[in-house]
Amino acid sequence: MLKSLLYKEWIKIRLVVWIALGLSLVALINIFLKVRHDILFVDASNYWYSFLFRGVTYFSILKFLPFIVGLAVAIAQYFPETVNKRIKLTFHLPVSENGVLIWMHSFGAGILLAVFLTVLVLFNAGSAIFFPANIIRASLLTMMPWFLGGMATYFLVALILLEPMWLFRGLYAAVAAGFVTIFYTGASIGAFEPVLAPIAVITLLLSFVVLFTGYRFRKGEM
Amino acid sequence: MYAIECKNLTHYYGRKLVYENLSFNVEEGKILGLLGKNGTGKSTTINILNGFLQPNSGECLIYGENTQLLTPETKSRIGFLIEGHVQYSFMNIHQIEKFYSGFYPNWNSAPYWELMSKLKVTPKQKISTMSCGQRSQVALGLILAQDPDLLILDDFSMGLDPGYRRLFIDYMREYAKAEHKTVFVTSHIIQDMERLIDDVMIMDYNKILAQQPVDQFMASFRQFNITLSSPAEEIDMDGIAVNIDKVKDKIEFYTYSTADEVKGYLNSKGITFTSFEEKKMSLEDAFIGLTRKY
Repeated sequence: MLKSLLYKEWIKIRLVVWIALGLSLVALINIFLKVRHDILFVDASNYWYSFLFRGVTYFSILKFLPFIVGLAVAIAQYFPETVNKRIKLTFHLPVSENGVLIWMHSFGAGILLAVFLTVLVLFNAGSAIFFPANIIRASLLTMMPWFLGGMATYFLVALILLEPMWLFRGLYAAVAAGFVTIFYTGASIGAFEPVLAPIAVITLLLSFVVLFTGYRFRKGEM
Repeated sequence: MYAIECKNLTHYYGRKLVYENLSFNVEEGKILGLLGKNGTGKSTTINILNGFLQPNSGECLIYGENTQLLTPETKSRIGFLIEGHVQYSFMNIHQIEKFYSGFYPNWNSAPYWELMSKLKVTPKQKISTMSCGQRSQVALGLILAQDPDLLILDDFSMGLDPGYRRLFIDYMREYAKAEHKTVFVTSHIIQDMERLIDDVMIMDYNKILAQQPVDQFMASFRQFNITLSSPAEEIDMDGIAVNIDKVKDKIEFYTYSTADEVKGYLNSKGITFTSFEEKKMSLEDAFIGLTRKY
């Protein structure tokens, strides 16, 4: 049963996932070609200095990528379920309704996490060619809120799409816009480090709110 | 033994009453057609049966389980056709068969592929690009392959041309009778129901007007076309008349009474007429006669 369910979810999101990976790869190639070019013109120590003390990031092109990918995966996965209330078919499967939602959500979040980890691993590998470990660590800490924001976007867009009432959708969208903005607030390098753990916990908790809209749908809210 | 038991259902949308204390049962092995005009509560009933709506009070049981709390085992015994033959249209016919087959222990793909072989679709064609008639055959094929004990078909005729409607009905009737399946069906096209159902349940606003075997209903509910002696004759909707349509001196008199009883009734009211004949009705005529034209 689980294999069948995940098969359906994969059919919905696979195109978005391949496009996301392709775009990420292009973005990473662009980043490191530019870094190589800049280091050839201003020597490496100057380049590192501008990163550490002037806050010039070489990876800002990645900033909204997790947000866009989280949004795209959530829409690809949950929008088809809302057309003609197709989610009824899913809830009618011989599996518990909460169980089916948890598996769908875990699968989407797992795939998103895999895409993000792939990007981060490739970023780490590319950075290791040009930068010392402390710069790489600072870079990853700076990017971490962006990727957490991508996960939060996925969870919140799923919540909005599955909500049966437009009024509630509007309320959720307003809250989501405010919350997701926090992850993309301009800040100095590594500024989010002290709050990374709390916002990671909040993001994780957001993954469960989809059960609430599922319950509302099953009770006939409209 | 009942496949479906609904007891004292009451439901409101806001302040609008849909129905109050509605009770009905569906016997195992029977095909029951739920008829009603728009807004009388057909979709509400289907949603309650499928656990997608909690009534304000009362409950529906399917195989003894409350429909709000159906176990996966009981859900696997129910085939559900959503209004408009909605399916996962982002899949093709191979993908959707592979998907559903993983959920049902009695999955039998033979009837599905038999139906698919009649469709002029390419193996990789997405369901979303198929015609409504082709989609109906996909939905029907999936239900037949699931081999459920109870089939809930919500407005199966929506969007289908006469050929596909006939194909759907004939397949469904033959399958249900051969396999002793229970079917709960709604449709806007009542002439289709006549070929399909054993029992009929006719709903009006807030109540059930009739629930009985369709043969019994058609034998007992009658239409008499009467020409009055004068257009000025008045006839009231009381006593034995279920419904009366009067245009000048012509009246259509709908009743559960016999011709002699109607004539006796008219005489007792002092109403004279120049012609009196019983008209043979189709199920659609009887439905209109019972629920009125508007």
